[in-house]
Amino acid sequence: MKARLILFLFFLFSYSVSQAQELTVTGTVTSAEDGFPVPGVNVLIKGTSRGTSTDFDGNYSLKVNRGEIVEFSSLGFKTVTVTIANQTTLNISLEADIEALGEIVVVGYGSQRKADLTGAITTVQAEDIERTPTSNVMQSLQGKVAGVQVVGVGSPGDSPKVRLRGVGTFDGSNNPLYVVNGMFYDNIDFLNTSDIESVSVLKDASSSAIFGQKAAGGVIIIQTKSGKFEKKPEFVYNGYSGYQFAQNVVKMANTEQFATMAYESGSSTDIANIQNAIQRYGRSRINPNLPDVNTDWYKEILRPATISSHSIGVNGGGENATYSLGANYFSQDGIMDMKNEYERFNIRSNVDIKLSERFKMGTNMVFSNATKYNAENGAWFQAYFAVPTLPVYDPLNTEATPVAYSDATKIGYRGSQNPFPTMRFNENQLKIRKLLTNIYAEYYIVPEKLSIKTSYYHDYSSIEERNVRMPYFISQNSQRETSSIRKAQATYSNQIWDNVITYKDVFGDHNITVLGGTSYRDEAVHNLSATGEDITGIDFESSWYLDFADPESFNGNVRDNGGRVYGVSYFGRAEYSFMDRYLINATIRAEGDSKFTANNWLYTPAFGLGWVISEENFLKDNNVINFLKLRASYGKLGNGSLGRSSGTRTVSIVQTDIGDQPVSGIVSTSNFSNLEWEVTEEKDFGISARMFNSRLTLEADYFIRTTDNAVIPVIQPISNEIVRKNAGEIRNQGLEVSLDYNQTLNDNWRFNIGANISTLKNEVISLAENQEYIDGGSAEFRQRTRVGDPIRAFFGYEVLGVYQNAAEIQNDPIAMANNLVPGDLRYRDVNGDGVLDADDRVILGSYLPNFMYGGNLGISYKNFDFSVNVSGQSGNKILNRKRGEVIFTSDTNMDADLAINRWHGEGTSNSYPSSAGLRKSWNQKLSTYFIEDGSYFRIQNIQLSYTVKPGSLLGKRMPETRLTFTAERPFTFFKYNGFDPEVQDGVDRQTYPVPAVYTMGINIKI
Amino acid sequence: MHDMKNFKQLLNPLVYVLVAGLCFTSCEDKLKEQDGQLGTGDLDYTKTSDMIMPLIGAYAQIYSRGWEDPLLIGVRGDDVNAGGLGDQQPFAETDLFNYDKGYWMYNSLWTNMYSDILDINNARETIQTYKDFAPESAYAKADQYMAETKVLSGWTHLQMSRVWGSVFIITQSDVTDDLANGVATKAEVMKYVSDLMDEALPYLPDMRPNQRTDVPGGVTKYTALAVKALANLELENYQEVANATSTIINSNKFMLFNDFYQLFKMPGELSNENLFEFQYSDYGSATGSVNNHLYAPFGPQNWTPARTGASSGWGFYEPSFKFIKFMLDRNETVRLQTSVLFTDRGIAEIKTDPAYATLPSWISNTTPDGDVINDFNRAKFSSGKHYLPSKQLTDGRNSYGSGKNFIVIRYAEILLMYAEALTKGANASGMTADQAVNLVRNRAGLGDLTGVTHADVMDEKFAELAMEWGIRYFDLIRLKNYAELSYDGRTFTEDKALLPYPQAQVDLLPLGVQ
Repeated sequence: MKARLILFLFFLFSYSVSQAQELTVTGTVTSAEDGFPVPGVNVLIKGTSRGTSTDFDGNYSLKVNRGEIVEFSSLGFKTVTVTIANQTTLNISLEADIEALGEIVVVGYGSQRKADLTGAITTVQAEDIERTPTSNVMQSLQGKVAGVQVVGVGSPGDSPKVRLRGVGTFDGSNNPLYVVNGMFYDNIDFLNTSDIESVSVLKDASSSAIFGQKAAGGVIIIQTKSGKFEKKPEFVYNGYSGYQFAQNVVKMANTEQFATMAYESGSSTDIANIQNAIQRYGRSRINPNLPDVNTDWYKEILRPATISSHSIGVNGGGENATYSLGANYFSQDGIMDMKNEYERFNIRSNVDIKLSERFKMGTNMVFSNATKYNAENGAWFQAYFAVPTLPVYDPLNTEATPVAYSDATKIGYRGSQNPFPTMRFNENQLKIRKLLTNIYAEYYIVPEKLSIKTSYYHDYSSIEERNVRMPYFISQNSQRETSSIRKAQATYSNQIWDNVITYKDVFGDHNITVLGGTSYRDEAVHNLSATGEDITGIDFESSWYLDFADPESFNGNVRDNGGRVYGVSYFGRAEYSFMDRYLINATIRAEGDSKFTANNWLYTPAFGLGWVISEENFLKDNNVINFLKLRASYGKLGNGSLGRSSGTRTVSIVQTDIGDQPVSGIVSTSNFSNLEWEVTEEKDFGISARMFNSRLTLEADYFIRTTDNAVIPVIQPISNEIVRKNAGEIRNQGLEVSLDYNQTLNDNWRFNIGANISTLKNEVISLAENQEYIDGGSAEFRQRTRVGDPIRAFFGYEVLGVYQNAAEIQNDPIAMANNLVPGDLRYRDVNGDGVLDADDRVILGSYLPNFMYGGNLGISYKNFDFSVNVSGQSGNKILNRKRGEVIFTSDTNMDADLAINRWHGEGTSNSYPSSAGLRKSWNQKLSTYFIEDGSYFRIQNIQLSYTVKPGSLLGKRMPETRLTFTAERPFTFFKYNGFDPEVQDGVDRQTYPVPAVYTMGINIKI
Repeated sequence: MHDMKNFKQLLNPLVYVLVAGLCFTSCEDKLKEQDGQLGTGDLDYTKTSDMIMPLIGAYAQIYSRGWEDPLLIGVRGDDVNAGGLGDQQPFAETDLFNYDKGYWMYNSLWTNMYSDILDINNARETIQTYKDFAPESAYAKADQYMAETKVLSGWTHLQMSRVWGSVFIITQSDVTDDLANGVATKAEVMKYVSDLMDEALPYLPDMRPNQRTDVPGGVTKYTALAVKALANLELENYQEVANATSTIINSNKFMLFNDFYQLFKMPGELSNENLFEFQYSDYGSATGSVNNHLYAPFGPQNWTPARTGASSGWGFYEPSFKFIKFMLDRNETVRLQTSVLFTDRGIAEIKTDPAYATLPSWISNTTPDGDVINDFNRAKFSSGKHYLPSKQLTDGRNSYGSGKNFIVIRYAEILLMYAEALTKGANASGMTADQAVNLVRNRAGLGDLTGVTHADVMDEKFAELAMEWGIRYFDLIRLKNYAELSYDGRTFTEDKALLPYPQAQVDLLPLGVQ
């Protein structure tokens, strides 16, 4: 006993002695596999919160007391611990943790080891996101995640369309749910790309079911950057700037081609209009049959535009707190030559505080302040139609004010055509301010096992819209006598209060996590708008307020509406794994939402099973297969983004003229919607594998997701009111495969290569009773939803060719019956009844691609990094409505392809009608002639970068600096006769083309 | 001591969970709230002064017509054409009696009309609910309002059955029973309309629409009689036509507006001639609320307006050469000038016919109000009855015809229906057929006729009512005078009399064979 005491005192003494003997240990951490330095390794003194991390060259320096244990840990490496005796230099070689068991994936209301996942989750890291110069992070995911379709947008500040595993709803939103640091969003245009740490795409139902409502479109979890404990402050500057250029600009018919078409049309007015242009604008000296004008309207309305982004941030942490703070300025001009731009200033902060070993609190804030000027997209359309024989300006148009723009009615055309009045006399400003805040407190009732966490989130958004319409007079058909300003203020206040209790434990080979929680949701929206006319001082932006409008003009022009929706949820999850081999996950959520009147409550159970075969004895320590897991999951997802159902007949206020006085009355609906949740059910089967020293990774999934009570519009007999009912069934199924390989060849060379493919079959399984189809689109451009076909498929006639000669006409009773002539289209008489009518229409294809692919290649040589990303899709159709709208105005211009390749004599074309034919209603029916192949292959991104390592350059101390050159979307290959095959819903009328972007960037870390 | 501490540790979260639980019970009540909407059950039916609101709503619905409605109803007559080529070719084909059941206009007219009928029925049922809570003193008002909705519904049924023949009779807002009854034949529909007017008549105000102070321009007893006459005319029940029209005539409340040209302009609004009129206005102000009909389809595509800035139209409604020549043959001036806007191109084309090589000097492309109609591609003439001189536009309002009312039934039609009924053998009560026809002729500056025949009356109707609501077309169909419809290269056959049911409705409703 005595001896023990002495021994104890000795240790105590030696401890205090050693405490006095502080050493500074320095060293380099390298990778055992290739000998490269490993930056960012956490170097921590075990049992304390003292520590540091390695710099870019793997170097570290740490004050340590003798006898203390230092732990070196880094993601993807096995942790190494060393007890410090006397050494002051300690170089560590880290072995790759090929099991990568440590990799943590963010899941709903928690996190999970990647190896334990039973669902389909793809995570994209910051470095892959930052390659793309964009205001919206989703743009950078294009082609990167199998099963995710991102349809880009060209207009600055707008969000790309994101479709995850097809379209499973008819009426509701198909947008994924974005969970940003725990808060729900359906639009993340306010987030700065370089503030994002990681993006996790939850693709299957078992992963996303715990989010209940809105999860049916898939869930995308976004974490913004946070600090680390015991980390020195790191300052980061990240910026780029560059130019955007319209690419693949549609070549329009020039004056000569257009005049040829007019002469061939046989239309006396079209021919006369060419003469009118000659009279008004003079005769071409080159070809005296043409006017001396040759306007390329797309060239006129386009411009190169700038883009730039500057971010600064600092992150780090001390013993009890971590922080990450930053600011970003982003600006982008639009390629349409008008007031069309986007500017955004963001600030963010993220602070976590350990109040005690058991009690943690934190707060998180993102404030975004953006100003956007929307383009007048109608100008894309007008530029297509405007005849090349019309100049932009017309000095002869002396009555025009304030600018002497030309007007096509002056040379005989029906419309005024010139897009410039639209672009110059309209301005659309949006001030978009969004604030995301949250605060949480987490308490460990039993350390490392049982915790309880409460979090409160508030998303406050305000969108101020100002649409200014300036007066002008170009002609009677192109004029605005009275100026007007529309102001609209929309505010959104969305709050969530979550409470979660989590229990984690290990019993031998049994690993258990159980979680339960509640969530209360309150979503309020308020819209107030007013339009004032006849603004005094319209020429000055300083008087663009409704106070300067004619007060009389507000009558009937003020709108005020809003709504508030409440939701209450209870949810839980259980995770169990045995020997890391057999995995079970189960979640459930019960969610009530005031929006639904038929049945408030939604229950979304889900479960997943996993079998890690590589942990079985027969495969353990296999040389080829390092990891192999089979997954199967099932789950239900809700879609609450459906618009509220009224549950009762409603009343609206109308105004009419009674005796020359405006009098109000009421009108009530005859029908009403009475909806419940849309529920999507999904089965997913997957394989995850790593082979060849984990150099090759494979993820493959097959899914079937079915929405069996999809809300669809059902036309009520007689009233023709459209009532939404939970009556449709829509299915999406497909296969997703992604393969990645990376290897280090030697000290200087490294490379990685990856590819992903996904297929999609979208099908309507059933509609309401006695409902054969749902018609969408317009009467002229029909999109029909019908059982057995994809949702909103194009619906029309199938073109077989063009009648080439009189004999072909004679031999075809349909041609004879319709007085056709050579040069007209020949359609398929589908039902073979010898008559061509509406019954011969067929499904012509879908706007959804059935095959998508992406790929990437990265090569590193010394300090140079080079990467290429590609993406593509096929199987989708685009309605070329620019061509199709000849049905409304037949005297306008057309693209050069059509003008050159028209039918103009036997054998000249078997796909395009003659010039005269273009003007006939027979050839204007929606047919395969207007429905084009939307396939494309694109070089998505090319980036070359050079890293200057910290050290000295020209005698000065230099921070770590990375210089990059980026070409975003430099080349796209496609057949479609338009600017861009990226057309959000497949109908190209006034699609803002997505430009190519070239930037230079710099990234500095201090 | 130790236990106590553990207990406290446990207590904190427990209290917290308890509080959370309490809150959630109250949170769940929120699920029943429907913020931002007004249900029919939320109306205060005890507030009898609001009882007029559903009636105003019914007028608002019938006034707010799709632009295509009057065009499609009228275009097939020999008085008017669709204009030449350009967009909406199936509309032009309809004018040539080549029908396309898939064409959107057919379905649009159908749905516009039927949804109005439902809204009108809804209004009647809402008024009934107000009546249920109202003091007895307000019963008469309630009954009058409900009777007014019957007139509106009757007129709409009449129009639908003229266009499609057999259609559904819709009597209430819940259509289940009415649909189960299947479509009614045209004769059944007209009988229903006539009976419905009889139901309404006792409750309606005995005055002209412009005499009403509660709803100026709203329907009255005489509107109901006019609709009844129209329904019986379709039934060729000429004695009932004579009875209804003579009641109107003998009331001595109505008179022809002395200036035929201005009848269709601002001065003619709510005149003593009008029995039923859709009302529109921009309320004389350059800004603020507007309740307008879209007249642009009726207007010329190109003009030089007397008041600069006034917008032109689309050229979709072109008086026919046949009509113009018919009027020239009759030496009509007032009615021709009122009905037709000429272009130089149109005038030149008339002159190519040797019989019309010289035209009266007043025919020009300048209207009496100084608007110059320029040549335009689509058509050679435009409708004058749907034209509002640019000088009559409100300052700052440039849309074609802004603020102009749309006359639906006027006294001249009543007089001519009366005359037609007499020449078809009905017994007179009051004036003679000659007197009725001559009243109409005199206003147009034409001399008296004596011993008018049925053919005379029909010519008079053609001259007087051209371009208005397809009156001419439906007269020719009723009289089976198909030869008149085979004009200017068209061939009309009896099977073309009705428009085909719209495809969308065939797919939706148990319509059967037309």
